Amino acid sequence: MASRAETSPPHGVRLARKHHLLVRVSHWLNVLLLAGLIVSGISIYWASPIYRHSPDPQTGNTDYFADAGLWLCAHVPLMHGYVSPPDWIYNHFSLGPYMLAAAMRLHWCCAYLFMVNGLMYLAGLWLGGEWRSLLPRASDGHGALIMAKYYLGAPFALFSRRQRVPPQFNSKYNPLQRMAYFSIPVAGWLSVVTGWAIHKPMQLSWLAALLGGFDRARVWHFWLMCLFITFVVPHVILVFADGWDTVRSMITGWSKKTGDGRPIP
Amino acid sequence: MSSDENGAQPKPAETSPPGPESHRVFSERSPEIIEVTPQVVRRLTRRDFLTFGAGAVVALGVAASQLPPSTLQRLGLKFWPRNQWLLNKAQRVDDDVAELLYSPNRLVPTFKKSQITPLRNNYNGATPDPGYIPGWRLTLDGLSSGLAASLDIRTLLTRFQIHDQITQLVCVEGWSAIAWWSGLRFEDLLRAYPPVSQAKWAFIESSVNLDSNGNPDPYYVSLDLLTAKHPQTLLATHYDGQPLTVEHGAPLRLIAPMKFGLKNIKAITRITYVKDEPKDYWAERGYSRYDGI
Repeated sequence: MASRAETSPPHGVRLARKHHLLVRVSHWLNVLLLAGLIVSGISIYWASPIYRHSPDPQTGNTDYFADAGLWLCAHVPLMHGYVSPPDWIYNHFSLGPYMLAAAMRLHWCCAYLFMVNGLMYLAGLWLGGEWRSLLPRASDGHGALIMAKYYLGAPFALFSRRQRVPPQFNSKYNPLQRMAYFSIPVAGWLSVVTGWAIHKPMQLSWLAALLGGFDRARVWHFWLMCLFITFVVPHVILVFADGWDTVRSMITGWSKKTGDGRPIP
Repeated sequence: MSSDENGAQPKPAETSPPGPESHRVFSERSPEIIEVTPQVVRRLTRRDFLTFGAGAVVALGVAASQLPPSTLQRLGLKFWPRNQWLLNKAQRVDDDVAELLYSPNRLVPTFKKSQITPLRNNYNGATPDPGYIPGWRLTLDGLSSGLAASLDIRTLLTRFQIHDQITQLVCVEGWSAIAWWSGLRFEDLLRAYPPVSQAKWAFIESSVNLDSNGNPDPYYVSLDLLTAKHPQTLLATHYDGQPLTVEHGAPLRLIAPMKFGLKNIKAITRITYVKDEPKDYWAERGYSRYDGI
C-alpha cells in the first residue's frame, strides 16, 4: 500500500479498461436473446421430442420432459395440486405446450438478432483488442484443473472458515475462464450453424449432411443449448462470488483490478 | 466508453513497459490504465448504470409484449400490451430469406431404398373415410383455356410419365421421414393444362379433410408456381411402390420436399391457379406462408 500511495496522485483512482462498449452491450443483449431462444426452443422441442421412450401403458406418454413433470408433481409436496403435471416442464421453461407457431416466430426473431449480436461481440473483441485474452494457451489444461480444484473446494473452505489463497495467473482471465469464454462464443456460432442446417435442410443440404443429416443436426442443436445452460449457472455464481468489481466491469467497462484479481499497481 | 466527452480528461498512466510478448500478434496485452478523480468515477458509473438499466427496462418491455397471451398470463402479466410487430417482421424476413435461398435448379438430396424410414400418418385430426376414393376427380381451374378440367386417376396415370423419387419429408414439428414416392411431375401437369398467363400461385384444396372430431374441415395450401415447376415436385400417386392408401392421401397428393410437410397436401381435389397469393390453412394459424426449407 505504501508504494501505491507514492505513485498515485492524491485522490486519483486508477482504472483498467476491461470490456469494450460493444462487448458489454452484446453481453447483456445476449442474456435476453439466449433466454428467448431457449424458451421458444423448448416449445419447438415439445412438438417432436428428440429423446423418447416407448408409450407409457397408462398415459400413452413418450416424452421424458413430460415424465419429469409427472414425477415432480407426484413427489414434491407443494406441487401435488398442479393442474397438468405432464406440461409442468413446458409451462415453466418454455412458452408452453401447443405453442409451435408462436415459438417458431420468436425463435427466428431471436435467432436473427443473435447472429447480429454475435457479429457485434466479435467487432467489440476486435476493437478493444480483447480477443487476445481469450485465445487458448498450451498450459490451459493444467491451469484449468488447478482452478477447478480451487472452485470446488471453495464451499468447504467457506464452511470451515479457512483462508485460501486463489491460484495466481499473470493474465486477464484464469485458464478455466479463458477456456469457457473462448468455447462459449464458438458454441454460439456452432448453434447458428446447426440452426441453419435444421432450418433449411434442403437448400443447405450440404450443411445438414456435414452434421449427419437433419435429425442429427437437431440433436447437436439441443446439446449446444444444454451447454449454454450449464455454462450460465456457474458463470453467474462465480461472477457474483468474485465480487462487485467484476459485475460492474461488464456495465462500465473498467475494473479497479487488473489481470486475475490483482489490484492495479 | 469514451470519458473525454465528459471533460474528464483521464490522463493515461504510465503503461507497463512493452515486454517481448507485446510484439507478438496473438499475445495478450497489458490493460490500458487510466487515472481519474473519484468524482469522475462516480459520474461515469452512474451514467453507465442508468443507460444500461434503461436499456434493460425497454428491452424487457418489448420482449414481454411479443409473448403469447397464455405465456403472459402465466407470468402474471395479463394486461401487458401486446404488439406482434417484431415477430411478424421476423417471420416476413425469414420467408424472404427462404425465398432467396430457393433455386428451381437445386435438387434436394435423394436416397437409396435401404435408407427409407417409417412414415407417420400425420393427418391433422382424423383420417378421412375412404368412401370418396372411387368417385374421386381432380378439378383444375384458372386455366388459360378459360374452362375447368376434371380428371380421374386413370387419366393422370396413363397420360403422364410417372417418376420415382426417394426424398426426405420434413415436418414443421421437427420429425422427418425418408420415403419412396412415385407420381407425375407438377410441371408436366402445368404444361398439359397451362394456367392463365398472370398466374403466380396454385391454390390446392382437399375437400375430404376432417378435423380431430371427424367433422369436415377442408384443407388448403398455397404453392408458388416456381416451386410447383421444380423437377422434384410431384403429384404423387404411389407410396413405397404401392398406390397411395387413404392414410397417405389417396389417390393423389403433393410431394414438394423443399417445403415443410404441411404444404404436402393429401387427397387433392382441386387446384386453382391464381395471380395473388391465396390463403393457406396453417398460415392462418400462425405458421409461415412460404414454408421453404
